[in-house]
Amino acid sequence: MGDVMALIEIENLSVTFNANGRRVRAVEAVSLKVGEKASFGLVGESGSGKSTILRAICGLAPVSAGRIRIGGEAVQSPRGKAFSAQVQMVFQDPYASLHPRHTVDRTLSEPLAIHGIGDRDARVMTALTDVGLPTSFRFRYPHQLSGGQRQRVAIARALMLKPQILLLDEPTSALDASVQAEVLNLLMRLREERGLTFLMVSHDLAVIDHMCDRVLVMQNGRAVEELSRTALASAQMQTDYARSLFAASADRMLEG
Amino acid sequence: MSLLSVKNLQVTFNTEAGLVEAVRGVSFELGRERLGIVGESGSGKTMTGRAVLRLIRPPGRIMADAMTFDGQDLMAASEAQMRALRGRRIAMVMQDPKFSLNPVMRVGAQLMEGLRQRDHVSRAVAYAKAVAALDAVQIRDVDRVMEAYPHELSGGMGQRVMIAMMLIPNPDLLIADEPTSALDVTVQAEVLSILDALVRDRGMGLIFISHDLRLVARFCDRVLVMYKGRIVEEIAAKDLLHARHPYTQGLLNCLPRIGGTRGPLPGLDRNAEWAM
Repeated sequence: MGDVMALIEIENLSVTFNANGRRVRAVEAVSLKVGEKASFGLVGESGSGKSTILRAICGLAPVSAGRIRIGGEAVQSPRGKAFSAQVQMVFQDPYASLHPRHTVDRTLSEPLAIHGIGDRDARVMTALTDVGLPTSFRFRYPHQLSGGQRQRVAIARALMLKPQILLLDEPTSALDASVQAEVLNLLMRLREERGLTFLMVSHDLAVIDHMCDRVLVMQNGRAVEELSRTALASAQMQTDYARSLFAASADRMLEG
Repeated sequence: MSLLSVKNLQVTFNTEAGLVEAVRGVSFELGRERLGIVGESGSGKTMTGRAVLRLIRPPGRIMADAMTFDGQDLMAASEAQMRALRGRRIAMVMQDPKFSLNPVMRVGAQLMEGLRQRDHVSRAVAYAKAVAALDAVQIRDVDRVMEAYPHELSGGMGQRVMIAMMLIPNPDLLIADEPTSALDVTVQAEVLSILDALVRDRGMGLIFISHDLRLVARFCDRVLVMYKGRIVEEIAAKDLLHARHPYTQGLLNCLPRIGGTRGPLPGLDRNAEWAM
């Protein structure tokens, strides 16, 4: 993967939070590159900074050093409309990420309204169909949907502006195994159909292996090791931490 | 004698839309062992756990032919008797730290509250015990966590705080409802080894509720597989990955695997007969 090709480029990114006057370094000097139409995974324990990287890309975390480039251009602060038309995020918890008092229709139309895009009716209907929801769900509220259906709505919302990049923060960890399978299949299909680029956070190595070509192992805010999918599946990791993570996931191997 | 015995447990909710039967005739015995309950959301596994503690609010109703804990009839116990059992002898770790910890109270104060109120120990002793409990669940930055509010912790840290809180009174039976689903694999392994040590060394009984079949297969002694309020299969955990019931097999097959094909994952074909 050449430098020119990278759609997402993160260079020496540090994120520092201020907690009661104490500086907490959530991410320290992490660099990564994701090529166009690639799928890149971030794994590590909670607090390792993997979600913070996604939030930093969206401008939701205080970046203290480093550069973020999308398509070769440094991101603007605040991010602005051009950014949201290109990059969208799907959050972990579909119960918390959808507005409880907005109908599905309103949730899906809002990005269109903000960006002054017309033909909303048809777009909302198409978006529902694309994520495998019946169009009759259009005027439902989130509490009238199951967890899997809500996550489909969240994915549909992220795709309303036809972005190139989806940032996926544990998109299936709140879901049942069978629903997880459906949502992962949906993401794979959408990625194929639309040529999307994924940057995905998960603590489940099997999910990362299923979805991603490359994976970055993180610990305590630092990048520990970057692995290709082949290296992951054949346990060719160089660092002790990546190996221990893999060993703890041994029951997720094919033979399992 | 078994620690907990449940016979024909039913949990029903009388809603506007009619009677919802969340648990339909569940029976099991628990010794000083690790019993797993697996199933999807809505299968009744959480309700089964809560019913043991009689923590189901009206319009929910609990019925059972018998439910005894250490010789005590839980169905006949008064509210005061139940309160004496809850926490001290039967503890429950809830699923979501976001909703189970007090959002406006520092973690340290929450950990010490039970010790101060229930065990009447001094502030210094309570503080030391709270710190020891956080140490036991492998929290690194103990001083910061003691002073933190729940929203300042990650999901995994919050989950460990809840486990620490439940283990302080040394319960005889721990009902853990998805205690590790917010944790990543390495921390999960640590938390499981803590729970495991408690079962082994102190003879605690554990009901481990989870939707993660592989985790339960590895960690528990015995597993109940629930579907729509019923137990469809009871199986030794070591045999779970070779389960016979088509529902259990379906749940296993839809999981992605490291080194798998990356083709679409098989869905779960539900059969109405399983719920009969």
